Amino acid sequence: MLRVDKASVWFGARDGKPVHALDRVSLDIPDGAFVVALGTSGCGKSTLLNAMAGFLPLSSGSITLNGHAVEGPGAERGVVFQKDALLPWKTVAENVALGLKFAGRGRKERRERAIELLRLVGLQEFAGSAPYELSGGMRQRVGIARALAPDPAILLMDEPFGALDSMTREAMQELLVDVWARTGKQIFFITHSIEEALFLGTELIVMSPRPGRIVARFDLDFINRFSRDRDARAVKTAPEFTELRERVRAIVHQDEVYGRAAE
Amino acid sequence: MTDIASNAELETPARDIRVVKMRGFGIGERSTVPISIATALVILIAWWAASEAQLVPHLFLPTPKEVFDAALSFWRDGYANATMWEHVSASLIRILSAGAIAIALGVPVGLFMGLSRWAKGVFDTPIEFYWPLPPLAYLPLMIIWLGIGEASKITLLTMAMFAPVAIAAQAGVRSVSLERVNAALSLGANRFQLMRDVVLPSALPEILTGTRIALGVGWSTLVAAELIAATQGIGHFVMSASQFLATDFVFVGIGVIAVCAFAFSFGMRLLERWLVPWKGQS
Repeated sequence: MLRVDKASVWFGARDGKPVHALDRVSLDIPDGAFVVALGTSGCGKSTLLNAMAGFLPLSSGSITLNGHAVEGPGAERGVVFQKDALLPWKTVAENVALGLKFAGRGRKERRERAIELLRLVGLQEFAGSAPYELSGGMRQRVGIARALAPDPAILLMDEPFGALDSMTREAMQELLVDVWARTGKQIFFITHSIEEALFLGTELIVMSPRPGRIVARFDLDFINRFSRDRDARAVKTAPEFTELRERVRAIVHQDEVYGRAAE
Repeated sequence: MTDIASNAELETPARDIRVVKMRGFGIGERSTVPISIATALVILIAWWAASEAQLVPHLFLPTPKEVFDAALSFWRDGYANATMWEHVSASLIRILSAGAIAIALGVPVGLFMGLSRWAKGVFDTPIEFYWPLPPLAYLPLMIIWLGIGEASKITLLTMAMFAPVAIAAQAGVRSVSLERVNAALSLGANRFQLMRDVVLPSALPEILTGTRIALGVGWSTLVAAELIAATQGIGHFVMSASQFLATDFVFVGIGVIAVCAFAFSFGMRLLERWLVPWKGQS
């Protein structure tokens, strides 16, 4: 379980007036949960993720994973970035096995585990390819496999599908549901797509900017429905889905209007 | 969905297809090699014509044939108390050993400068001071300190080559994206692993570019240093030939220098293709 307790972040600004990026955000991510954070740009969702990953210290408050304070990046928290951040001088399999190399595992074990993970994301035949020979969607799948390799307790995903075309994106969403169902990892996922947020999460938090805070929380079940029936189209066109989508849209858009007025 | 395409008649490719592509800008991808070869031929013919017709005094401009004969004689009998191979290898040993030292020192120092504020502050002072100086300006000092032998020349070359390598390695570290570093850290990398698996390979393209610049600088410094103080070496060969007004041998020396310099830059390009095939990708 990952616990964020009254986390606040102030950034220094050029004019000397600090920016309040995150305002006493509290959040629990229980084992096996898939929490999605939704919000317009500047709402502090990436700030929150960076703090969870340990890339950013908090101004106040605390983050703990299974009772241990987060004090920097570590292998128990896997991160998938918006831009894949793969190493171009290593093959796909070597990229996936990077975390195992850092952990001092042997060559044979690394190789086997990399192939296993590539099979999970459907890329086993690209093990020997260079990352730049792959398409954007494939690279993100490698990124997911790589983040899973050291067997982290939680997966932090920062708008991983934001740069993909909509068709690839939907395929990736379904793949991620499978990965989640099979590995049982807790996932914290950031997006600015309402539909993606509703489809993927077991819990949705909606964030609003200036200062970044959580303004709404919803429990979701669409992901389980998809896991059961395997029909994404039916899930996304169901009346409960579209109705909730409009409710969430109203909250997000309200923010946008207020946000613009404040600038 | 209707299938419109299958109803339409397929356009049969005619024999005289006009293949098109986007209108380009500048020279595009069309090869310039034939033009360059033609230019070289024109220059050769102009040289031959000017020297045969005695348009300039023979002392200034020997004929192509004389230069060729001089090259043959240099190849067979040597010049200035050494064979051609002795001259060339003396120069190559100097530049290669100085280059090896410069890389062995410059890469770690540059990486360190890119990572540590203290290292940058400390090393910036001497490098920024001496790097803009022409190496020949401090050659006399090197000779006073280290004598006329190999030590002074190799030290001079090492100094000239060290700065571009160190500066490039430092720039390479700065070009490493924070995202890549964060990715490695969240995969559990320690500082050493971060350096070995992320920072050093990320900086490698810049280090190779720096090495290429260093070889250029080193080569010009070397020849100039040999003109002043050496008993062997390709620069010394040119110098002795000029003292006897043997213009044809001077031409040969310049040609040998050009061939060596070209071989170096060609070798560096091969090295880049082999070491950083991903350069420009992703």
